[in-house]
Amino acid sequence: MGIVIAVISGKGGVGKTTATANIGLGIAFNDKKCVVVDFDIGQRNLDMVLGLENRVVYDIVQVMEGEANIKQALIKSKVNENLHFLAASQTKDKSVLESSKVEKLVAELKESFDFVILDAPAGIESGYEHTIEFADAAIIIVNPEVSSIRDADRAIGILDSKSAKVKAGEDVAKYLIINRIVADMVESGEMLKSDDILEILNIKLLGKVPEDKGVIDASNQGKPVILDKKSIAGQAYKRITGRLCGEKVDMKDIEISDKGLFKKLTGIFR
Amino acid sequence: MKSKQYSVKVYETTITNEVAFMEFFDNNYTLFKDHLIVISGNLSSTIKVYLENKKLSYLHDVSLPKGRTRKALEKELQAEQTERAVLAQISQNEINRLSSQLENNLTVLDEMIRSGREVDIKGDLLLLNRVNSGATIKTTGNLIITKVVEGAIRCAGHFMMLTASPKANIVFHGVEVDNSLLEDRLNRVELKNNEIIITPVLKKEINWAL
Repeated sequence: MGIVIAVISGKGGVGKTTATANIGLGIAFNDKKCVVVDFDIGQRNLDMVLGLENRVVYDIVQVMEGEANIKQALIKSKVNENLHFLAASQTKDKSVLESSKVEKLVAELKESFDFVILDAPAGIESGYEHTIEFADAAIIIVNPEVSSIRDADRAIGILDSKSAKVKAGEDVAKYLIINRIVADMVESGEMLKSDDILEILNIKLLGKVPEDKGVIDASNQGKPVILDKKSIAGQAYKRITGRLCGEKVDMKDIEISDKGLFKKLTGIFR
Repeated sequence: MKSKQYSVKVYETTITNEVAFMEFFDNNYTLFKDHLIVISGNLSSTIKVYLENKKLSYLHDVSLPKGRTRKALEKELQAEQTERAVLAQISQNEINRLSSQLENNLTVLDEMIRSGREVDIKGDLLLLNRVNSGATIKTTGNLIITKVVEGAIRCAGHFMMLTASPKANIVFHGVEVDNSLLEDRLNRVELKNNEIIITPVLKKEINWAL
């Protein structure tokens, strides 16, 4: 029996899909069977980020409607065979989702995978509620800015009231990823410190991901940034997936700008 | 360094009449010969010579550490006690005044009020957690919040006590409270004679955690 993790954010554009793709791949590299599911019905893009655009035959809606079985719809990743992908429908909209069908699908995936990662749509409408309803845990992605944090706070509130686990009297585990941190801006006070964010949201910190220009290009090419060993964001995702798989990985403080020796020396004389 | 400590008896005086002074010392020489004589005010050469002849040790115009007499100490102690009693009485009066304004149905909550939540309370509310940006708290009675408020507050009680961030939106009896007046510490906001009065409760931020 695997664990179902919903990746949520509230606000759009903070890096949910990128995080989902990287976390999925990172888990697969840790020799765990993992499936990533795009729950953003009507606006699918996880397929592109994973570089599996051309392989989508059946989608999640067709599986739920019984037009295809789950084995037909699952796409195996080219990079790592532990990673599977279930695409969202691009033609339907999220009103087609039904609780009972989502529950059945999630239960089925849980049977055959160690990790089931659900990429939630932005916002807090029905699509979002269906994504979190049967999740055992949630990863909340925020950017260090006030609007993202308020939206995440709202999303957590809904998670805490609508999740099936909470209704059964249990707790949904909640983990925070702070994405797109710029050390210089944190140091100069233009960007929120992670301590302040943690105080507002009051959930466990899973990891901090620095801003990295390589992420956009990686998404465009369909090669998640975790594959790039030199990328700082890729390394951050590697640490995060290590933690998810039960390794003890120290929290790296990426909020202190890591200046090279030359810059440090010139800094002295400035 | 080698040092010793002595206790010395000191006779301090101001000379007004030199003849009388010398007479006094002649008469009481046995009594004062081991004292340290401290002369404040004028010291003429006649007196200097006189003291040296008598082999008396003396100092001129020095400030000595002043010992306090028992009476002075008692007086000080009493003043302190009175002050303490007055302060206790003031705070007791304040507590009595505020508790007379409390309503009987008090709700106690210890949960984070996250964005999008609206807590609507009939009566008084004691909230032991944060109010995040985008959340709303409404009470018909008094309100005490022990952690930072970043959201909206609508209170219609006699008083409220809270620490508000500049982001908070606070309406007390239908009047928007100016945030710049709610410094970054616990404040008491109350309605007195149709006026909203804001008083910082303590200078420092209180740590409510046990």
